[in-house]
Amino acid sequence: MTSSAVDSPELEQVRRRVFLALFVALAVALHTVEVLLPNPLPWFRLGLANILALTALFSYGIQALWVVSIARILIGSLLLGSLFSPGFLLSLGGGLAANTLMSVGYKLWQNKIGPVGVSVLGALGHVTGQLLIAWLVVIRHPSIWMLLPFFLLFALISGIVNGLAADYLLASLYKHPAFAGLKKKQDISNRAAHLEG
Amino acid sequence: MKAIGWVQRLTPFDRKLLVVVAVLVVLSFLLPLTQKAGARVVVSSDNRIIFVAPLDKEQRVELDGPLGITVLQIKDGGARIVSSPCPQKVCIHMGEARHAGDLLACVPNQLVISVEGNEKGEDTEYDFISR
Repeated sequence: MTSSAVDSPELEQVRRRVFLALFVALAVALHTVEVLLPNPLPWFRLGLANILALTALFSYGIQALWVVSIARILIGSLLLGSLFSPGFLLSLGGGLAANTLMSVGYKLWQNKIGPVGVSVLGALGHVTGQLLIAWLVVIRHPSIWMLLPFFLLFALISGIVNGLAADYLLASLYKHPAFAGLKKKQDISNRAAHLEG
Repeated sequence: MKAIGWVQRLTPFDRKLLVVVAVLVVLSFLLPLTQKAGARVVVSSDNRIIFVAPLDKEQRVELDGPLGITVLQIKDGGARIVSSPCPQKVCIHMGEARHAGDLLACVPNQLVISVEGNEKGEDTEYDFISR
């Protein structure tokens, strides 16, 4: 590895593009694998693909978050054959709401919030957005909101799990010299080093 | 110590955020309590209202549909379908309707049973298609 902290901006930009493409590819894979998992209750999804969106957010910022999650929803739905179906609308509505909340949370508490905090915000946004779309498009009946507490509880748990996964991923990614030039890097690797040391 | 190891991976802000969110999630379980009790049950078939009754009067009603007679039971402030000639019996499994806005439907027998609240204008709020 010849990379160092004084890499040229061009190299840094190419590197960013390559990693974003990798994150999208991994997110699409997780999105697809998750559909294959047994699903005892409809609509309860772990949202594992969000791990990669979080990783992109903490490595490259808010724009990268939107790139990874929107690309993941489009490509994932294309692969599964659900593009533009009601299921896709639910996915997109959830994704947009999740991204909005995650962006706002990240921006608002920039130096205080960690991957778990952002992940939980995203998970809550995701189920709320999904239920909103379900209510608008699929079932126009107010009883659907009675499901919200259960969805929120599940989102809280899956949000924590995904956030922790993203935190571990970031901590080990940041040991790699390719991520040496990043600003956000500091506190996450400090925290990780403190835990391991 | 190992069991709470994951908490150490959170920033102090994340921990506070989690507590706030957990409280909100617990509070959201109180949401069903805000539902208004229904006042009367309205049965329609083929877009015509064929039967209206108050929910607090106990009775069994025989409703006529294209397939035959569907029996609706009104008891203890709730309405449920107890027998129906339809093949899947989905309507029977829908259970009880007792809150304003609740709906029971037997699609094969073309019956829609809805529970309405007390005030006239209020219970149309949820559905602007029917307004």
